Amino acid sequence: MTIALFSDIHANLPAFEAMLHDMDKRNPDAIYCLGDLVGYHIWPNEIIAEIRDRKIATLKGNHDEKVECVLTTEDSLSLSGKDYAYHLIGQEERTYLKTLPSHIRLEYKINAQNFNIVMAHGSTRSINEYILEDTDQQYIKEMMEEAQADILIVGHSHKPYHRTLLTVEGKCRHIINTGSVGKPKDGDPRGCYVLLTLDSIYAENDQDSLKVEFIRFDYDIEKAAKAIENSLLPNDFAEGLRFAR
Amino acid sequence: MRIALFSDIHANLPALESFFTDVATRNIDAMYCLGDLVGYNIWPNEVIDEIRKRGIPTIAGNYDWGIGRASDDCGCAYKTDVEKAMGKISISYTNEIIKEEQRNYLRTLPAHIRLEYQLNDEKFNVLLVHGSPRKVNEYLFEDRDEKSMLRIMEQANADIMCFGHTHQPYHRILNSGTDETAHFRHAINIGSVGKPKDKDPRGGYVILTISPQTVLNDKNSVQVEFIRFEYDIEKAAKAVEESSLPNEYADMLRKG
Repeated sequence: MTIALFSDIHANLPAFEAMLHDMDKRNPDAIYCLGDLVGYHIWPNEIIAEIRDRKIATLKGNHDEKVECVLTTEDSLSLSGKDYAYHLIGQEERTYLKTLPSHIRLEYKINAQNFNIVMAHGSTRSINEYILEDTDQQYIKEMMEEAQADILIVGHSHKPYHRTLLTVEGKCRHIINTGSVGKPKDGDPRGCYVLLTLDSIYAENDQDSLKVEFIRFDYDIEKAAKAIENSLLPNDFAEGLRFAR
Repeated sequence: MRIALFSDIHANLPALESFFTDVATRNIDAMYCLGDLVGYNIWPNEVIDEIRKRGIPTIAGNYDWGIGRASDDCGCAYKTDVEKAMGKISISYTNEIIKEEQRNYLRTLPAHIRLEYQLNDEKFNVLLVHGSPRKVNEYLFEDRDEKSMLRIMEQANADIMCFGHTHQPYHRILNSGTDETAHFRHAINIGSVGKPKDKDPRGGYVILTISPQTVLNDKNSVQVEFIRFEYDIEKAAKAVEESSLPNEYADMLRKG
């Protein structure tokens, strides 16, 4: 079973289209999106339309949630600034974002083991908490224990990694950050998503029994950056795409 | 958010194809499959491939569990010796024609999927299971005692529980709060795409709508639609008759 996991598209349509093109060739068995469809770019409605059209199981990210607090009036669309990215979002699209779940949990029973894959945008505690590669391991262990998560998948930081932590019982906990499709911040400007392979060799005490691949794909970065520069959004956002920061 | 939920396809490819045609017209935002992809008809591999091709999040049904482990037991509660004998033919037939890659897919399906919501300063869970949260092959019929149904949902921390397995669709709303502070829970049987058993031979599935106004103390803030769709029943029935499967399974499709 190969599961495709992606997040943090941030309204970057050229990146999202390139990701779909790449992902479709790899034939994943199930697909999940970990949120932040909008913000920082001009194509929020197009991203939402494509995700709905494909009926992809999707979580709410902090930017998707933020839209609920943005008041859009007739004048909003002529004002420059970062809120322009939210003002662009249509009413039906706002309803879709509002009714997204916060977490998706897959409860498994394989080879007499019960284990859970838990997906959250930031962390299981908060939609905008960063779980980074160097976040204190005791903190993460406690959080995963509390959330009953054996494999935790998050996005939000735009910096992909796969970490394993051993519990006192000798069980291996996995934490996977999916990186970002449309706004990488790890110095590599290519888009990123994850393929997780879970097969019947999976064992909680063997950290190599779960296969995690980070897929980087090229996309037309200049097209995405220029679209920002030609819009009312801050030009800094274009530089962010070019340099992945 | 309109969520399509379907299950119990049971290797009936004509029914699955008609389901996909129907659901494409209904403005759906997300889709989940609640298991039992295989058994009782000739297209288990094709049904699995159609679901995989679309990347649809899917859980294991009892029949998938059996075939995934190459077992001769599907966990089905056959009542008579005749039913048992027929069931034996169906599972050994399915074990014979299933391909290794498709069997592996079934073996690594999750048992449950839980959608955890935080909406309107309230938390609630949509729990998707095949039979019940306790057991993949437990039947939750519409006439189940209210206390027992509530206990199952409370123990599983399920506010909206969706399941299949009985092939008989229904929606029950139960209050686990008090009259003053209501906490409504929804038990939703989504019916069957490929082997209905409620005397209506058309395929069935459910559209669940979570709206921005959804709250636990308003039972009407969760919408459940039961969709029935036509499909080429004769094609599916004839396929059974032309195979080594018992002909009774063809009649069941014709009569629902």
